[in-house]
Amino acid sequence: VSDRPLRVAIALLAAVGAGIAAYLTWVHYEPGALVCLRGSGGCERVNSSRYAELAGIPVALLGLVTYVLVLASALVRSLAAAAAASALALAGLAFAGWLVYVQASILDAWCPWCLASDCVLALLTAACLARLLRAAP
Amino acid sequence: VEKPQWRRGRSGHHVGVTTQRRTLLLVFGGVFAAAAALAVALVLVSRGGGDTSPNGTVVRATVLAGIPQAGVTLGNPAAPALTEYADLQCPYCGEFDRVVLPSVIRDYVRTGKVKLVFRGLAFIGPDSTKALQAVYAAGEQDRLWDVLDGLYAVQGAENSGWVTDDLLRQVGERVPGLDADRWLGATDSDAVEQQFVAASDAAAKHGVSSTPTFFLGDRRLDLKALTPAGFRRAIDPLLGE
Repeated sequence: VSDRPLRVAIALLAAVGAGIAAYLTWVHYEPGALVCLRGSGGCERVNSSRYAELAGIPVALLGLVTYVLVLASALVRSLAAAAAASALALAGLAFAGWLVYVQASILDAWCPWCLASDCVLALLTAACLARLLRAAP
Repeated sequence: VEKPQWRRGRSGHHVGVTTQRRTLLLVFGGVFAAAAALAVALVLVSRGGGDTSPNGTVVRATVLAGIPQAGVTLGNPAAPALTEYADLQCPYCGEFDRVVLPSVIRDYVRTGKVKLVFRGLAFIGPDSTKALQAVYAAGEQDRLWDVLDGLYAVQGAENSGWVTDDLLRQVGERVPGLDADRWLGATDSDAVEQQFVAASDAAAKHGVSSTPTFFLGDRRLDLKALTPAGFRRAIDPLLGE
């Protein structure tokens, strides 16, 4: 049995996540282009918040890099790549959890794009772990 | 369940399973630790910088010196209005104040090309409201832009309770000509409340949904970059018409 279906799923999820992260990175530099749910205001509040950057690097860009690395891992038939992708996705998910806490407790604002990315990341992490556990000796 | 083919040994035997597991654990743990360490380091670095700028107010006093202020405006009252919508807690607004505003004042306000009009919004949280009340109250003594600048110089983490009475007093004491006691006593005045309403109404009228947003008259500036050059590129075509 090949692990191809899981790798395809990982590649697709990572591509979707990368798309969202790329959009959020773009609007980080072009705030006027941000499209959000009408009247929510949460996107602007979250995306212009100081938590949207770490040491001058947009958080969305860090997400984009993570998604691209995981996507690359799906193209490689290697157990080490599966392990690395799982670890990266898991670390990303933990960080995303902290950002959800920031939205809920500190900013009191929700960014639907960020939450969509979080959902994709959760599925991606599950797929990566499934691939790893299934293949591990 | 059969293992994927690429996982099996060449001869089909599970040779060195323990070593493989160890390698796997090493890769997994190493990547996870590296990612976590990077995240923690970035969080620490971003917390360490930019919160305070002790000399900012002193430097800015020079930037603002000699320019007429009247309530929420800065500059020649007869000049076209360049209106800024901002939230005192919005990091980009702070960045604009620290990085771009000095050149805007030098090139456009001092030269009489525009007057700046401040429209404060308080959508981020309670600290926004408290800071904005203080800023508007300073407008009653025609010192709004000094206090605004002083607060941006010490801008803290959002909704962390950074706008304390002590902080306001420290900022106010550095503003030349500001009666700090009268100022702090006027933060909940009717005039301040009217400014809140006026800014909120104007923002709704112009469809302002993010900060900072700028208008020259009724025309929104298409700001591509929060830099002095980016600002010039946005405002010059509108001024030239």
